[in-house]
This record gives sequence, C-alpha cells and structure tokens, in this order.
Amino acid sequence: MFEVRRWWSKGILQLVATLLVLPYLLPLVAMVQGSFQGDGWGNYRDVLQVPGFFRFFVNSAVIAAGVIVIVYVVTMLASYGFAKLHIRAREVYFWLLLACLTLPEVVLLTPLFTTTQTVGLFNTYWAVILPLAALQVPFAVLLTRNFINGLPDEMFEAARVDGANSVRGFLYLVIPLTRPIAAAVLIFTLIGAWNDYLMPLVFLQSQDMQTITLVPQFFVGEFSNDQTKILASAVLTAIPEVVAYLCLQGLFERGLSAGAIK
Amino acid sequence: MTVASQRLTASGVGSSSRPRRRLTAPGLPWILPALVLSVGLIYYCIAYTGYISTLNWDGASPDKISVGAQNYLNIARDPIFWRAIWHTVAFFVVTFVVQTVLGVVFAVIMHSRIRLAVLYKVVVFVPVVLAPAIMAPVFRQIFAADGQLNWLLAHVGLGFLAQPWIGQESTALPVIMVITIWQWTGLTFVLYYAAMSQIDQSLLEAARIDGAGNLRTLVSIIWPSLRGTTVALAILGAIGALKTFDVPWLVTIAGPNNATQFLGTYIYQMTIQLAHVGYGAALSIVLLVIALAMAIVLQLVGREDGGERAGRAARRRAREGR
Repeated sequence: MFEVRRWWSKGILQLVATLLVLPYLLPLVAMVQGSFQGDGWGNYRDVLQVPGFFRFFVNSAVIAAGVIVIVYVVTMLASYGFAKLHIRAREVYFWLLLACLTLPEVVLLTPLFTTTQTVGLFNTYWAVILPLAALQVPFAVLLTRNFINGLPDEMFEAARVDGANSVRGFLYLVIPLTRPIAAAVLIFTLIGAWNDYLMPLVFLQSQDMQTITLVPQFFVGEFSNDQTKILASAVLTAIPEVVAYLCLQGLFERGLSAGAIK
Repeated sequence: MTVASQRLTASGVGSSSRPRRRLTAPGLPWILPALVLSVGLIYYCIAYTGYISTLNWDGASPDKISVGAQNYLNIARDPIFWRAIWHTVAFFVVTFVVQTVLGVVFAVIMHSRIRLAVLYKVVVFVPVVLAPAIMAPVFRQIFAADGQLNWLLAHVGLGFLAQPWIGQESTALPVIMVITIWQWTGLTFVLYYAAMSQIDQSLLEAARIDGAGNLRTLVSIIWPSLRGTTVALAILGAIGALKTFDVPWLVTIAGPNNATQFLGTYIYQMTIQLAHVGYGAALSIVLLVIALAMAIVLQLVGREDGGERAGRAARRRAREGR
C-alpha cells in the first residue's frame, strides 16, 4: 500500500511495525516465562502428573467433534434446502433462523439448566454440545446458503434431467462443491466449541467431564494458587491451538474471518 | 473472507427476488433438522426465560411466585444494571476505535513489503485462536501489583506509574479493554488486510501520479473503500460487547465493587450465584432485546450506503487529484 523507497523510510516503517507488534508478543512471553519460574520444567512435570489432566483434552475434543458433526450435517441439509429446493414461505423460516444470530449464550442458562436436569442430560456432553451447535447453525447456514446460491441452477437441472433426485443432487453436487465454505464453517465451529467457557462451567459439574477452558480454575484449587503451575497448565492447554493454527494458517484466518461476522 | 461480510450485508435475504425456479422437490424436510435444533431449542429457551422473568423464584423450590412485570420495574431502578450498560457502551466504543485504528495500520504496514511480515502476522493473530479462559490467569499475573507490567514500568524508569491495575476501580475496566483489544486486533487486521488486497492498484497509482502522498492515499482512497468491512466489524464488536463474559469474569470477577460488571456477568451472578433466577431471566430478556435492536439498527445503517458509493467517491477524488 505504502510506497517506501528510501532506506530511512523503510527503516522507520520496520521500526514502527516492530514496536506495534511487541505488545502482542509480551503476554505470550510472560506466560511462558512465568511457567518456568521456581521449579522450571518441574512445574510442567507436576501438572502432567495430576491424574486426569489428559481427560480435559479428551472432553474438549469430544465436545468439539460432536458440535462440528452436528453443525456440518444440519447446515449442509438446510442450506441446500434453502438455496435450491422449493419451500413455501421460505424467507420466514430463514428469518426465524437468522434472529438467533445475536443471541448471547448467557440467555440460555436458566431454561437449559432446568430442562437438562428434568430430562437427565445435566452433566453429560449433550448438555454442552446441543446448545453450542444450536448457536452455531444459523450463521453457518447463512454462509453456506449464500455459497450454494452462487452455484448455477443449470447444473442441478442437468442432474435432474439425467435422473438424479434431490438426494443424489445433494450427495454428488452439494457435498463436493461446498468444500471451501465447509472448511470455514469447520474452523469457526471448532474454535467456538473448543474455546467456550460458560456452557462447560455451568453444565459440566463433575471433574471427569470438564473441558480445557476450566483447567486454570481447576488448578487454582489443585495447587492452592501456585501461579507458576497454573501458567504451566495454561501453556500446555494453549499448545494444541497454536500448533493447529500454525499448521493451517490460511484456513484459520479465512474461517475465523467468515465466522466473525456474527 | 470479506466476501462473507459483504454477502452478509448485501444479500442476507435478497435472493427471493430471483426468477422462480422450476425445481419442485419439496425442501422442507431438508431444513427441518436445522429448524428443530436451532429455532426449536433457542426459541423454547427464550419463551421459557420470558416466563421465568415474571416469577420470583430461586430456581429450585417448588413455589414459584408470580410477580408480573415487577422484575422489569426493578431492573429500571437497579443502579448496577445501569452501570453494566454504561460499561458495555464505553467498552464497545474504546475497543472498536482502537482495534479499527490498529487493524488498519497493521494491514497497511504489512501490505508495504516490510521484512518479517509473516512472523508479525502470526504474532498478532495467535491471540484470536487462544481461549480467553486460558489466557485469563496470565493477565491476572501480568496486571497484578507485583506483576510483569509494574516490573517493566520500574525498569524503564516509569516506576511511579506502577499500581494494582486489577485491584482498583479506576483501572479495572481499562484492563479488560486492553485484554480484549489484544485478543481481537488480529481478526480486525486480517479482515482489513483482505479488503485492501481488493483495492484497485491502478487507483493508487493514479493518485500517486497526481501527487498524493502516503497519508493522503490512506485517508482518501484506502479508508473509504474499507467501509463494508468497518460496518461488519462494528456489528461484530457491538454484539461482542453485549456478550462479554469470560474476560471480566475470570480476570476481575466483575469487580472490584462492580467496576467491571457487564450484563453477562451480572446475569450469571444473579442466576447462578445468588439464585435470583427470576431477576436473572428478566435481565436476559432485556439483554436479548438490546442485542436484537442493535443488530437491526447497525444492519440498516450499514446498508444505507454500502461500499459502492464510498468506492465511487474515492475514485472521483482520485481522478480529480484532490
């Protein structure tokens, strides 16, 4: 964007960039450095030796996977229906769905709390998976419907003329052609589910069900507020996310940008 | 990625105006799972919350006392509620302005062929991926009275500025803002970065030939053509501000003395901790109404004159060499 030809203006720009980026690095440095204070690697050993530490990761993975599968299936079906099939009063249904976009999850607390306890889902994965999926679906449908709208109608008609019913059209046209948008949906659903704090906090009471976002709190109790070990646990829980991002940089940036406009 | 944001504002529901398709396969069964899951679950919860909001109830006891609109009247007179609203507004304005400025500046700089751009981008974007809940203890440590920030200040000769950042009312809210800005600038930056890649290069060159300097180009051409992205980010920021929960809850516990109280944290305290479930439900409904109203208003404002007009204006200005 900017034209910088002279060496000194290049230098100034580089310096400004560095000074602006540094504050973003400092908390991460503080986190890693703090986790090594006192016992050094010993902090990490202690954290890893806590029985059930691995369990938090498994729970988060199960919940994220559940949310992703549900959101993907439901979204693909609905987007195809909205974009290419005949539905009377279609836009009414669509607006009903879109109105859910602004919903803060804290609004769901009380009804879900009482309902999950009545139907016996309290303290199960479902108590977190279902509301999280319900909250992600409207936006995923909005994105995917727009994407499918962009696919030419002639293609679907040609398929029909060749004798493919709507199910085959879905399986052989929609599923393969929507891969780019599906990747975006996958990423923002993954981040949304993996990083969610409130739902697990309220609905997963027993320790062996809890997710990684509850780890810091767990360690406040476990190590009676020993900051260095809490930071070590924070580093360990952050590593999978950072590694996943570094491996799939482009995908993450696209997916989160798409998912951001909620 | 900006395509997504533009589509959101441009064609949310507009596709119904297309010529009627000849496809006759019924679509209702296809959209049913989504409707049952999202519309069903969420509207059920809203209706249930609406009902509870007319009760005086602790969430467990069998006797639910109906109090009509009393909870809502109490909200109107509740100073903590109004403080939470004020915090939300201040929080939105500050975080939105700072993130927008930083996002644009980062995007412009990274587009200007500097060294290590990829590395810088990763550093700014990593916070977006990390869970606020995981970073909270880190920030509690950094902003503590004996934390790294005060240590840093002392070492650069600004020791007189050192203070218990999260322990006093005057600085607690700014700390929450700083953490939020740290977390989300990466996203703002990436969105602006993408939007800038779509700016017509010949436009920039024409401006330069006409003698426009770097700053002039930024203000007159680059910034106007980013309007769509800015509107989308404003909607995102406003709704995000209303939803704020994790950071104030985990870093300052909505304190000290309600200094970082937000609607989300207040509802949580009322509902879960104090068992004023009816009151919490009424607060939830109020929050929901505000969020919906805000989304509609911002959507309308954004649609009024989209990027099209701004883009034309920019091109004209560039031609006229102003």
